[in-house]
Amino acid sequence: MTGGAATLLQSNDTVLLPERIADLTGLGELGVAGELTAAFLGAFIVANLMLATTGVAGPWAKRKITAAFTDRIAVNHLGPAGIFVIVADSVRLLSKENIIPENADRPAYDLAPIIIASSALLGFAVIPMGSGVHLADPEVGLAYVFAVAGIASIGLVMAGYASGNKYSMLGGLRAVAQNIAYEIPLVVTGMSVVLFAGSLRMSEIVAVQNETVLFTIPGLEWAVPAWFALVNPFAFVLFLIANFAEVGRNPFDMPEAPAELIAGYQTEYSSVYFVLVYLGEFLHIFLGGAIIATIFLGGPAGPGPAEIGIVWFLLKIWAVFLLTQWLRSAIPRVRIDHLIEIGWKGLLVLSFANLGLTAAIVGVVFA
Amino acid sequence: MSTGLEKEAETSVDEIAELIGERAIARDDHLNAPGFVINPADVQDVLFDLRDVAGYDHCSCVTAQQYADRYETIYHLTKYGNRTDEVSIVVPTTLEEPVSQSGEPVYRTADWHEREAYDLIGIEYEDHPDLRRILLPETWQGHPLAGDYDQTKPQLVTLAEHANPLQADHHDTESETMFLNIGPHHPATHGVLHVKTVLDGETVVDVDPDIGYLHRCEEQMCQQGTYRHQIMPYPDRWDYVSSGLLNEWAYARAIEDMADIEVPEYAQIIRTFSAELCRIASHMLALGTFALDVYGEFTATFQYTFRDREVVQDILEDLTGQRMMFNYFRVGGVAWDLPEPREEFFAKTRDFLDELPAKVEEYNDLITTNEIFQLRCVDTGILEPDVAKQYGCTGPVARGSGVDYDLRRDDPYGYYPNLEWDVVTEDGYDNYSRVLVRMQEVEESAKIIQQCLELLEEWPEDDREIQANVPRTLKPDTDAEIYRAVEAAKGELGIYMRSDGTDKPARFKIRSPCFSNLQALGEMTEGEYIPDLVASLGSLDIVLGEVDR
Repeated sequence: MTGGAATLLQSNDTVLLPERIADLTGLGELGVAGELTAAFLGAFIVANLMLATTGVAGPWAKRKITAAFTDRIAVNHLGPAGIFVIVADSVRLLSKENIIPENADRPAYDLAPIIIASSALLGFAVIPMGSGVHLADPEVGLAYVFAVAGIASIGLVMAGYASGNKYSMLGGLRAVAQNIAYEIPLVVTGMSVVLFAGSLRMSEIVAVQNETVLFTIPGLEWAVPAWFALVNPFAFVLFLIANFAEVGRNPFDMPEAPAELIAGYQTEYSSVYFVLVYLGEFLHIFLGGAIIATIFLGGPAGPGPAEIGIVWFLLKIWAVFLLTQWLRSAIPRVRIDHLIEIGWKGLLVLSFANLGLTAAIVGVVFA
Repeated sequence: MSTGLEKEAETSVDEIAELIGERAIARDDHLNAPGFVINPADVQDVLFDLRDVAGYDHCSCVTAQQYADRYETIYHLTKYGNRTDEVSIVVPTTLEEPVSQSGEPVYRTADWHEREAYDLIGIEYEDHPDLRRILLPETWQGHPLAGDYDQTKPQLVTLAEHANPLQADHHDTESETMFLNIGPHHPATHGVLHVKTVLDGETVVDVDPDIGYLHRCEEQMCQQGTYRHQIMPYPDRWDYVSSGLLNEWAYARAIEDMADIEVPEYAQIIRTFSAELCRIASHMLALGTFALDVYGEFTATFQYTFRDREVVQDILEDLTGQRMMFNYFRVGGVAWDLPEPREEFFAKTRDFLDELPAKVEEYNDLITTNEIFQLRCVDTGILEPDVAKQYGCTGPVARGSGVDYDLRRDDPYGYYPNLEWDVVTEDGYDNYSRVLVRMQEVEESAKIIQQCLELLEEWPEDDREIQANVPRTLKPDTDAEIYRAVEAAKGELGIYMRSDGTDKPARFKIRSPCFSNLQALGEMTEGEYIPDLVASLGSLDIVLGEVDR
């Protein structure tokens, strides 16, 4: 957790996925064009990995999880435990007619789903997923993730305004109010982690957490690493709450709020557009999970050899996903004015308190 | 039976006669209450006196009908503090000029009732603030329950663009209101209700429920059926979410009192027993759908309540052979005895009763003690007791506003007077109180069922008379009129019938509790947020089948 660890890391930098592909395929010898191709290949692999995760989560896992919470069975006809419903649902969703409202404002209406889905995908570029799956590792990694995740708000507003539907507009308005109120606590809490790690670079944040040992339990081989969730549980909880609001899940699913706004900003979207919006939502949940896993839960670290890191990483983001579904089944939705109040009067103050406290501890204890 | 409430003093017929004095032009007594005929111009005058001097604070129902020579409006008045003290005010108008003074300034609830009378019969009410059609579309020609109505005439129904009623009310250039149609197809309207809403940002500034999408001419269908057999299946279809038996009882009670039929004691116990099962099923559904409104569509609570309601449905299915449209009550009793083997049926019911406390505990853990739930429900959708009375609110809605009023106790029928149970009231006046009332009523109903069960188990085998001896064709006396109500799941479900000496009623009027309760929606939600509007609507627990009939 000191400057020493950081310098040590910088000297043996991690090998990123595009470089590895370039080496393996020999593309690296073809100069810039080859490196570019390798980079695209890497991006293609990561994007598909995340889309596949979402594909499992959206039509199947979500149903199964909710069903388990509510005493039901859910899909069970196609394949083992109904897993092939994913195929059936894909065909169903894609073959539906894409209805575009008469007074929709195009092309904003068409662009919104693309923005919502792609902004989340962009974020995964800097996430170290273990087993060498890591696309890029810029110095400003954490700031970059927050920045691209924030683009989604624009997509929501565009969807809300361009649909030409009053419910959509209310949903869009709520989405903006909510995202502004919760993005600040989110980033400020993220900064406290940066204070600990001394870097915005994702790989370093992960490394710092796993270099240091928080404490060892007598009689056990495995030492408890200094994951920031354990070092600063307060920041972890703050970040989790802000994250739920950021991705619009219960108890903060205000922008959609089916009982009030029908489906909020996505009311008018059908067929492929709906798939994109839906996909974007799930990608955002997983991106939120990925950020949490990276900056609080030691990234891909876990017992066993480092090669299975991606398994641990996926487990961690699925754990966060499970939590969102659990909350969805169990907790009422707060009201929009309460939400804004919690954001500005509660979380913001607490996150700054947390930042100050962390700064003091880091400054005094580790100076 | 609980006797905690001191009944208000009864006003004798002579006192009423003296109060009305010269304004009464004749007497027209009904089987349930003395009736006074007054002039159309004296309506408000008389009603004000009856409300403020004699204390008739509950306008239970307004019935309108057409005779060969006149129109007639009947105000069925009673007291929240003494339900058995009833009086009917009969207002005849001529066929040529069917204009009568409105009772709306006296009782707010008369607003919708008179609109319905105007819509279906064609009587016009002077001084009414908003006299337009309520169940039928604005463009409808003729009045369907009036004598000269031509059913074969095709009707044109146009689509009108909705205008913002507050468009002109923008106090400065910055402010702007938005008109929003909530429903008739909306996840939170519990059926085909259309709420015309005007929003200022997220705040609700004007609410106008538009009903009638599910109007199925229930009154007219009952007028075409025979008392003895053909009417009983219809009540199941009014409040169709598992409160069927409670509705059937409303008709059964009215016709039995009208034709002077004594129901055997054993049948009364079965009726009480099965009706309370219906109440539990209905309240479970109310709780579950309210959770949907407040939690979101993936809530566990909704599924839990349906899981538990299913147990009740099974018992009712064993008893009646049906899950929703029971058609189990008969004039003078019930259709058949408890199912054989009786022990199995009793054991099943007992299991349900034994498991219920743990389930109620679970709901309290899940719902009522949840901080976010309390944040959402406490102090939202406020309905003050005086306002509730003005709107004729009854049932859990009134009791959640602290109005201690329950027909099972205040106007005893069935086997309720012989059983130990309490009327639940809450003093929060808010959405939370209404939820609490329903949850506690489930427990009270369980108490009643428990006692009925013990009675049924020990009932001597040779005395199981399930039906009184009722003539095959029932023809009540000519011009007999009766208004009788029971405590249905949603409140006071009343039925007015007039006999013309044939085997079919000349007028059959349904007083739906949801109809009156829904009127109070604007009062509860104006100035609050959209989510509160949704929660308040959910807490009213309306069923559109009963609102529209």
